[in-house]
Amino acid sequence: MLETKRTVIDSLLRAVRLVGRLNKNRPDSSPSEQLYYKMLDKYFSSVQNAKQQNGFVVSHTIFFPVEILYAMGLSPLHNEVTTWTSAMLLGNQLEFITAGAEAGLAPEICSPHRGLAGGYYRKMLPVPDAVVWTNLICDNTAKSGEYIAELTGAPSFFLDHPFDSSDREKAYMQSELRELVAFLEKTSGRRMDWDKLSQSVAEMDRQIKLQTEIAALRKARPSPFTTRRFLELLTVDYMFAGQPEATEYLTALKNELAEKVQKGTGAVNPERFRLMTLFLPPIHLIPFLENLFQEHGAVSTVEPLFSYWHYEPLDPSKPLESVARKSFLIPEARTMYGPLGENMLRELENLAREYRIDGAVYYAFIGCRHTCATIKLFKDLLNQMDIPVLTLDCDIVDPTINNQNEVRQKMEQFFELLEDR
Amino acid sequence: MTDAISVKSPALDLFREVNRAFPKTREILEHKARAQKVFGWLCTYVPEEVILAAGALPIRITGYNQEMDLEDGNAYLYINNCSFSKSCLQLGLRKEYDFLDGVVGGSTCDGARRLFDLWRHYLKPPFYHVLTVPRKTTESAHELYLDQVQIFTRHLEEFMGVKITDDALVQAIRIMNESRSLLKELYSLRALPEPLISGQETQEVLNASFRMDKVQFNCTLRELIADLRRMPAGYRPKARLMLIGSVLTNPAFIRSIEELGVIVTTDELCTSTRYWSDPVVLEGASSPLAAIARRYLSNFPCARMYPSTERFDRIVRLARESAVDGIISETIRYCVPYAHDIPMLSERLKSEGIPLLTLDVEYGTSGSGQIRTRVQAFLEMVEARKTC
Repeated sequence: MLETKRTVIDSLLRAVRLVGRLNKNRPDSSPSEQLYYKMLDKYFSSVQNAKQQNGFVVSHTIFFPVEILYAMGLSPLHNEVTTWTSAMLLGNQLEFITAGAEAGLAPEICSPHRGLAGGYYRKMLPVPDAVVWTNLICDNTAKSGEYIAELTGAPSFFLDHPFDSSDREKAYMQSELRELVAFLEKTSGRRMDWDKLSQSVAEMDRQIKLQTEIAALRKARPSPFTTRRFLELLTVDYMFAGQPEATEYLTALKNELAEKVQKGTGAVNPERFRLMTLFLPPIHLIPFLENLFQEHGAVSTVEPLFSYWHYEPLDPSKPLESVARKSFLIPEARTMYGPLGENMLRELENLAREYRIDGAVYYAFIGCRHTCATIKLFKDLLNQMDIPVLTLDCDIVDPTINNQNEVRQKMEQFFELLEDR
Repeated sequence: MTDAISVKSPALDLFREVNRAFPKTREILEHKARAQKVFGWLCTYVPEEVILAAGALPIRITGYNQEMDLEDGNAYLYINNCSFSKSCLQLGLRKEYDFLDGVVGGSTCDGARRLFDLWRHYLKPPFYHVLTVPRKTTESAHELYLDQVQIFTRHLEEFMGVKITDDALVQAIRIMNESRSLLKELYSLRALPEPLISGQETQEVLNASFRMDKVQFNCTLRELIADLRRMPAGYRPKARLMLIGSVLTNPAFIRSIEELGVIVTTDELCTSTRYWSDPVVLEGASSPLAAIARRYLSNFPCARMYPSTERFDRIVRLARESAVDGIISETIRYCVPYAHDIPMLSERLKSEGIPLLTLDVEYGTSGSGQIRTRVQAFLEMVEARKTC
């Protein structure tokens, strides 16, 4: 049972509600955005109220199949999103990072995962009833779950995601999921509701389609989706995969974007620079980047490593197999995990053409070794297409690495270069 | 104290010579001149027996023998990848491995997998294979890994135009198990109360084992062991240490520790004990390939494997068996699996009463300067503890 000690969840919940209320009064706020904050409110309330409502909170790392947890009536606590949403809304990044150092983690370990461990080490995050994690998509995720389990003392399960996507590996993934379900049933005392999981798979199928439709709408000139809301596209899957509210959110967003496309309304006006975003911008700088992009008429039209889904039908009559298959479809898993083959490189070229990009920004997150190892490769490829690439060394959560002036200067120099062309 | 132990043996000289010439050793070049194939493997989860059974020479891809300016490595793998991956890639980019007919790797860590991605893209080896290596040792993980080893075997057969028979696999297992058995014997001479061979000399032997024809290596190692047994007495060090952590091939690093009057009497590195510790057991296995696959997945685990307690347990066991006074853990910067283990391992060793020194290093470092100062301070603490 979740400890009731006051944690960051309380403050986070208040912040989410405040932003939700403020959004209602903002002229540019859309129904989908308002819905998103309602979803966050519901999510963190579930964690908050777990003790009183006989709930069972399962802490998990990124790219974990939350569909399983929801189908069993468990309350997921997404470690990365919780920690870094808190950091974004409450500005307490350094508290998490400092705590990570106290927990003994070296600075070379990626800061989000250092922060997670720190959050549990200092008990800023609630002690969960169970800890589950996977190795998608890096060594940090593989290792950090084990340390969190150690710090919290909660029962734990490691879901081993195979490297490639052969049939045999997909079958292994299914066997891992079966063991996960058995573990959760044993520790929580709850049974898997297979009908509910089938419904989740059906919703998931719709959600992936909606993600592809949203991505297609972003090809329009001017492109309608704003940088400010980029993280929503990711977290809606990270936290609410297979849930009806995620379908509702994505449907609302798609309709809003379709309307904008029809009216020729872009995210920036006038649209001058169409960008490809590689990796993630520093989360704390997103509002700043939004303003900077507005100022210069720049818009991110596509994020190949994060928000670009491929649709493959999922079969609700085979729920576990479908959850396993979906884990290979996640854009981050498809593009950043497994062997980096020619398909991925051709996709990058095609996206650059289809989205008619003028330039690309690679946010070189110093804590992410495996993505930074592709910088030269991607840069060579895009440069061959006469597309300039800005590489911006950064940390996605540590505010002490980049300041706004430095980022502004580099971005403006890049925009000047694009302008000269 | 530099030459506390100084083994005089032609066998050791031969090993040293191989290491000095690597990657382009005379033996490898002669092997190529006979139109025989040479495959580079990287990471101890790659089954060498399969390459041997195909009639090819397996050699381990390693980086420079010393700390180097990794200009190309940084440009291709960026600044935040481990210096081991960058060092290996740089050697490849500078055509030091251009004799290789193929490379074989495992999906073991982020640094290695990206090294393979870039090796394939920029160096275009004739043969390229990466095995999916599960992070668990459950029965379903073993089934997956066996499937991976079978796929690799078929791929290699196709490329080489040969049939890898069970007989050839059994023969390869015998050769490799003999290497393991001889290395175990060597380690027993290193773990004596008065060790007959130092840690740095042992590393020379290990490095050569990655770079020589296995039969010749076994023969030479047998000679070295015989030479050691003829030595009048060993050396009683002021402290016995164990070295653990990231990949390490530079004997100079160990030498810099041993120059302080100690002996590194055992270790837990993928380039040392974890390479040779467990034999392939044919008895009870459904096929030679099944025996090989089982051994490689359940071998002494690297920090990538789950649960970490398996690695920790074996470290503690080794430390006890070798009666060490303390453990030095070296972690290459950006070697995330090992860096992540440090807090839990520190707690574990503390509970076992085994002193631990953690060092952040770069691959190839000789261990001078700040590292030496820290080791000295650690030794003072260890010695004070012994006298209490």
